[in-house]
Amino acid sequence: MPDERILMGVIGRPHGVRGLLHVQSYTADPAALAGYGVLEDERGRRFTLAWQGDGIARIVERRADGDVAVADREAAAALTNTRLYVPRAALPAADEDEYYLADLIGLRAEAADGTVVGRVAIVHDYGAGTSLEIVAEGGGPPLILPFTARAVPVVDIAGGRIVIDPPATTAAEPESEGAQA
Amino acid sequence: MSRSVWKGPFVDGYLLNKAEASRASGRNEIIRIWSRRSTILPQFIGLTFGVYNGHKFLPVQVNENMVGHKFGEFSPTRTFTGHSADKKAKRG
Repeated sequence: MPDERILMGVIGRPHGVRGLLHVQSYTADPAALAGYGVLEDERGRRFTLAWQGDGIARIVERRADGDVAVADREAAAALTNTRLYVPRAALPAADEDEYYLADLIGLRAEAADGTVVGRVAIVHDYGAGTSLEIVAEGGGPPLILPFTARAVPVVDIAGGRIVIDPPATTAAEPESEGAQA
Repeated sequence: MSRSVWKGPFVDGYLLNKAEASRASGRNEIIRIWSRRSTILPQFIGLTFGVYNGHKFLPVQVNENMVGHKFGEFSPTRTFTGHSADKKAKRG
Protein backbone atom coordinates (compact mmCIF):
# COMPACT_ATOMS: atom_id res chain seq x y z
CA MET A 1 0.00 0.00 0.00
CA PRO A 2 1.51 3.34 -0.96
CA ASP A 3 2.59 5.50 1.97
CA GLU A 4 0.97 8.73 0.94
CA ARG A 5 -1.75 11.18 1.81
CA ILE A 6 -5.02 11.55 -0.04
CA LEU A 7 -6.56 14.96 -0.66
CA MET A 8 -10.04 14.77 0.84
CA GLY A 9 -11.23 18.35 0.75
CA VAL A 10 -10.46 22.04 0.68
CA ILE A 11 -11.54 24.74 3.11
CA GLY A 12 -13.35 27.53 1.32
CA ARG A 13 -14.54 30.99 2.20
CA PRO A 14 -15.80 32.06 5.63
CA HIS A 15 -19.49 31.89 6.36
CA GLY A 16 -20.81 34.55 8.70
CA VAL A 17 -18.90 36.06 11.61
CA ARG A 18 -18.76 33.13 14.00
CA GLY A 19 -15.93 31.19 12.42
CA LEU A 20 -17.92 28.87 10.18
CA LEU A 21 -16.40 27.94 6.86
CA HIS A 22 -17.47 26.47 3.56
CA VAL A 23 -15.71 23.18 2.98
CA GLN A 24 -15.47 21.47 -0.39
CA SER A 25 -15.52 17.73 0.25
CA TYR A 26 -13.99 15.37 -2.32
CA THR A 27 -15.37 12.21 -0.76
CA ALA A 28 -18.00 10.18 -2.60
CA ASP A 29 -20.46 11.10 0.14
CA PRO A 30 -19.59 14.69 1.05
CA ALA A 31 -20.79 14.25 4.63
CA ALA A 32 -18.32 11.41 5.12
CA LEU A 33 -15.41 13.85 5.34
CA ALA A 34 -16.07 14.53 9.01
CA GLY A 35 -16.01 10.79 9.69
CA TYR A 36 -12.34 10.53 8.79
CA GLY A 37 -11.44 12.18 12.08
CA VAL A 38 -8.30 14.26 12.13
CA LEU A 39 -7.40 15.89 8.82
CA GLU A 40 -3.99 17.39 8.06
CA ASP A 41 -2.82 20.16 5.82
CA GLU A 42 0.50 20.50 3.96
CA ARG A 43 2.13 22.13 6.98
CA GLY A 44 1.18 19.36 9.35
CA ARG A 45 -1.57 21.28 11.12
CA ARG A 46 -4.37 19.00 12.28
CA PHE A 47 -8.07 19.77 12.10
CA THR A 48 -11.41 18.21 12.84
CA LEU A 49 -14.65 19.47 11.44
CA ALA A 50 -18.31 19.21 12.29
CA TRP A 51 -20.91 19.93 9.63
CA GLN A 52 -23.30 22.74 10.52
CA GLY A 53 -25.28 22.83 7.31
CA ASP A 54 -25.03 22.27 3.62
CA GLY A 55 -21.29 22.43 2.94
CA ILE A 56 -20.67 24.60 6.01
CA ALA A 57 -18.58 23.34 8.89
CA ARG A 58 -17.18 24.36 12.22
CA ILE A 59 -13.46 23.65 12.33
CA VAL A 60 -11.28 22.95 15.32
CA GLU A 61 -7.51 22.99 15.11
CA ARG A 62 -5.94 20.20 17.14
CA ARG A 63 -2.72 21.55 18.64
CA ALA A 64 -0.31 19.91 21.04
CA ASP A 65 -1.26 22.47 23.70
CA GLY A 66 -4.99 21.97 23.24
CA ASP A 67 -7.80 22.35 20.79
CA VAL A 68 -8.52 25.76 19.29
CA ALA A 69 -11.87 26.34 17.66
CA VAL A 70 -12.11 28.80 14.80
CA ALA A 71 -14.26 31.42 16.48
CA ASP A 72 -14.33 34.50 14.28
CA ARG A 73 -14.33 35.51 10.66
CA GLU A 74 -10.69 36.65 10.60
CA ALA A 75 -9.46 33.31 11.89
CA ALA A 76 -11.73 31.55 9.41
CA ALA A 77 -10.46 33.63 6.50
CA ALA A 78 -6.90 32.63 7.37
CA LEU A 79 -7.81 29.00 6.66
CA THR A 80 -9.31 29.60 3.24
CA ASN A 81 -7.76 27.36 0.56
CA THR A 82 -6.28 25.00 3.14
CA ARG A 83 -6.15 21.51 1.69
CA LEU A 84 -7.21 18.68 3.95
CA TYR A 85 -5.53 15.28 3.71
CA VAL A 86 -5.80 11.93 5.38
CA PRO A 87 -3.18 9.18 5.32
CA ARG A 88 -3.92 6.53 2.72
CA ALA A 89 -4.05 3.98 5.55
CA ALA A 90 -7.06 5.80 7.03
CA LEU A 91 -9.28 4.76 4.14
CA PRO A 92 -11.33 1.63 4.87
CA ALA A 93 -10.21 -1.59 3.23
CA ALA A 94 -11.65 -2.16 -0.22
CA ASP A 95 -13.61 -5.28 -1.05
CA GLU A 96 -12.17 -8.14 -3.02
CA ASP A 97 -11.37 -7.15 -6.60
CA GLU A 98 -12.08 -3.53 -5.71
CA TYR A 99 -9.38 -0.88 -5.69
CA TYR A 100 -9.11 2.75 -4.77
CA LEU A 101 -8.47 4.91 -7.79
CA ALA A 102 -5.69 6.58 -5.85
CA ASP A 103 -3.95 3.20 -5.61
CA LEU A 104 -4.28 2.41 -9.30
CA ILE A 105 -2.86 5.69 -10.56
CA GLY A 106 0.88 5.46 -10.99
CA LEU A 107 1.10 1.67 -11.18
CA ARG A 108 3.60 0.27 -13.67
CA ALA A 109 1.88 -1.54 -16.54
CA GLU A 110 3.65 -4.63 -17.79
CA ALA A 111 2.92 -7.03 -20.61
CA ALA A 112 2.66 -10.73 -19.83
CA ASP A 113 6.34 -11.20 -20.71
CA GLY A 114 7.40 -8.51 -18.22
CA THR A 115 7.97 -5.75 -20.75
CA VAL A 116 7.13 -2.37 -19.26
CA VAL A 117 4.39 -0.71 -21.31
CA GLY A 118 3.96 2.46 -19.28
CA ARG A 119 2.22 3.76 -16.20
CA VAL A 120 -1.42 4.20 -15.28
CA ALA A 121 -2.05 7.90 -15.71
CA ILE A 122 -5.83 8.23 -15.52
CA VAL A 123 -8.68 6.02 -14.37
CA HIS A 124 -11.84 6.71 -16.38
CA ASP A 125 -15.26 5.86 -15.00
CA TYR A 126 -18.23 7.55 -16.61
CA GLY A 127 -20.88 4.95 -15.88
CA ALA A 128 -19.86 2.40 -18.49
CA GLY A 129 -17.23 0.45 -16.60
CA THR A 130 -13.84 1.50 -15.38
CA SER A 131 -10.98 1.86 -17.83
CA LEU A 132 -7.31 2.58 -17.38
CA GLU A 133 -5.32 5.03 -19.45
CA ILE A 134 -1.71 3.94 -19.71
CA VAL A 135 0.90 6.38 -20.89
CA ALA A 136 4.24 5.13 -22.22
CA GLU A 137 7.18 6.71 -20.44
CA GLY A 138 8.78 7.58 -23.75
CA GLY A 139 5.66 9.39 -24.94
CA GLY A 140 3.33 8.35 -27.71
CA PRO A 141 -0.40 7.85 -27.81
CA PRO A 142 -1.99 6.52 -24.63
CA LEU A 143 -3.31 3.00 -24.37
CA ILE A 144 -6.83 2.84 -22.92
CA LEU A 145 -8.16 -0.52 -21.90
CA PRO A 146 -11.15 -1.69 -19.86
CA PHE A 147 -10.44 -2.60 -16.25
CA THR A 148 -11.55 -6.21 -16.51
CA ALA A 149 -10.00 -9.44 -15.34
CA ARG A 150 -9.38 -10.35 -18.96
CA ALA A 151 -7.59 -7.14 -19.94
CA VAL A 152 -5.87 -6.64 -16.57
CA PRO A 153 -5.31 -10.14 -15.19
CA VAL A 154 -2.92 -9.09 -12.41
CA VAL A 155 -3.24 -6.12 -10.07
CA ASP A 156 -0.35 -6.00 -7.61
CA ILE A 157 -0.77 -2.84 -5.54
CA ALA A 158 2.00 -3.77 -3.12
CA GLY A 159 4.36 -4.48 -6.00
CA GLY A 160 3.33 -1.30 -7.79
CA ARG A 161 2.42 -3.03 -11.02
CA ILE A 162 -0.36 -4.42 -13.16
CA VAL A 163 -0.11 -6.97 -15.93
CA ILE A 164 -2.11 -6.12 -18.99
CA ASP A 165 -3.41 -8.07 -21.94
CA PRO A 166 -4.86 -5.40 -24.25
CA PRO A 167 -7.82 -6.61 -26.29
CA ALA A 168 -7.76 -6.33 -30.06
CA THR A 169 -9.48 -3.33 -31.58
CA THR A 170 -11.56 -3.08 -34.70
CA ALA A 171 -13.17 -0.03 -36.23
CA ALA A 172 -16.80 0.32 -37.26
CA GLU A 173 -16.74 2.94 -39.98
CA PRO A 174 -19.53 3.94 -42.34
CA GLU A 175 -17.22 3.75 -45.37
CA SER A 176 -16.39 0.13 -44.73
CA GLU A 177 -19.90 -1.13 -44.15
CA GLY A 178 -22.16 0.93 -46.36
CA ALA A 179 -25.39 2.80 -45.80
CA GLN A 180 -27.01 3.91 -42.60
CA ALA A 181 -30.27 2.56 -41.22
CA MET B 1 -40.27 16.42 -28.21
CA SER B 2 -39.27 12.80 -28.03
CA ARG B 3 -38.74 10.58 -31.03
CA SER B 4 -41.83 8.91 -32.50
CA VAL B 5 -42.22 5.34 -31.34
CA TRP B 6 -43.14 4.00 -34.78
CA LYS B 7 -39.66 4.88 -36.07
CA GLY B 8 -37.90 2.68 -33.56
CA PRO B 9 -34.58 3.58 -31.95
CA PHE B 10 -31.96 5.17 -34.16
CA VAL B 11 -28.74 3.27 -34.69
CA ASP B 12 -26.25 3.52 -37.52
CA GLY B 13 -26.65 0.42 -39.65
CA TYR B 14 -22.95 -0.24 -40.09
CA LEU B 15 -22.60 -0.26 -36.32
CA LEU B 16 -25.30 -2.88 -35.95
CA ASN B 17 -23.65 -5.05 -38.58
CA LYS B 18 -20.26 -4.72 -36.93
CA ALA B 19 -21.64 -5.60 -33.52
CA GLU B 20 -23.36 -8.68 -34.87
CA ALA B 21 -20.17 -9.76 -36.64
CA SER B 22 -18.15 -9.25 -33.47
CA ARG B 23 -20.59 -11.23 -31.39
CA ALA B 24 -20.63 -14.04 -33.93
CA SER B 25 -16.84 -14.22 -33.97
CA GLY B 26 -16.71 -14.54 -30.16
CA ARG B 27 -13.49 -12.56 -30.02
CA ASN B 28 -12.60 -10.28 -27.15
CA GLU B 29 -12.25 -7.01 -28.99
CA ILE B 30 -13.04 -3.35 -28.65
CA ILE B 31 -15.15 -1.96 -31.47
CA ARG B 32 -14.05 1.59 -32.14
CA ILE B 33 -16.96 3.80 -33.10
CA TRP B 34 -17.49 7.43 -33.91
CA SER B 35 -21.27 7.12 -33.84
CA ARG B 36 -22.06 8.77 -30.54
CA ARG B 37 -25.62 9.34 -31.72
CA SER B 38 -26.53 5.68 -31.95
CA THR B 39 -28.90 4.20 -29.39
CA ILE B 40 -27.63 1.27 -27.34
CA LEU B 41 -29.70 -1.77 -28.27
CA PRO B 42 -30.18 -5.03 -26.35
CA GLN B 43 -28.04 -6.74 -29.02
CA PHE B 44 -25.02 -4.78 -27.76
CA ILE B 45 -25.11 -6.11 -24.19
CA GLY B 46 -21.81 -7.71 -23.26
CA LEU B 47 -19.81 -6.03 -26.04
CA THR B 48 -17.19 -3.37 -25.46
CA PHE B 49 -17.12 -0.29 -27.67
CA GLY B 50 -14.46 2.37 -27.85
CA VAL B 51 -16.50 5.55 -28.21
CA TYR B 52 -14.66 8.52 -29.65
CA ASN B 53 -14.91 11.73 -27.67
CA GLY B 54 -12.89 13.90 -30.01
CA HIS B 55 -9.57 12.89 -28.45
CA LYS B 56 -9.70 9.27 -27.36
CA PHE B 57 -11.72 6.12 -27.71
CA LEU B 58 -13.10 5.51 -24.22
CA PRO B 59 -14.11 1.90 -23.53
CA VAL B 60 -17.84 1.46 -22.94
CA GLN B 61 -18.79 -1.94 -21.56
CA VAL B 62 -22.44 -2.29 -22.42
CA ASN B 63 -24.80 -3.72 -19.81
CA GLU B 64 -28.55 -3.97 -19.59
CA ASN B 65 -28.91 -0.71 -17.69
CA MET B 66 -27.51 1.23 -20.63
CA VAL B 67 -30.09 0.08 -23.19
CA GLY B 68 -31.96 3.06 -24.62
CA HIS B 69 -29.19 5.54 -23.92
CA LYS B 70 -26.87 6.94 -26.58
CA PHE B 71 -23.24 5.88 -26.80
CA GLY B 72 -22.11 9.47 -26.47
CA GLU B 73 -23.54 9.71 -22.97
CA PHE B 74 -20.77 7.46 -21.69
CA SER B 75 -17.85 9.19 -23.35
CA PRO B 76 -17.72 12.80 -22.16
CA THR B 77 -16.16 15.35 -24.46
CA ARG B 78 -15.22 17.87 -21.80
CA THR B 79 -12.25 17.74 -19.46
CA PHE B 80 -13.10 15.88 -16.30
CA THR B 81 -11.49 17.38 -13.22
CA GLY B 82 -11.30 14.21 -11.18
CA HIS B 83 -13.13 11.51 -9.32
CA SER B 84 -13.75 11.68 -5.60
CA ALA B 85 -10.83 11.04 -3.28
CA ASP B 86 -12.14 7.80 -1.84
CA LYS B 87 -13.69 6.43 -5.03
CA LYS B 88 -13.15 2.76 -5.70
CA ALA B 89 -13.11 0.80 -8.94
CA LYS B 90 -14.32 -2.76 -9.20
CA ARG B 91 -12.58 -4.93 -11.74
CA GLY B 92 -15.18 -6.22 -14.19
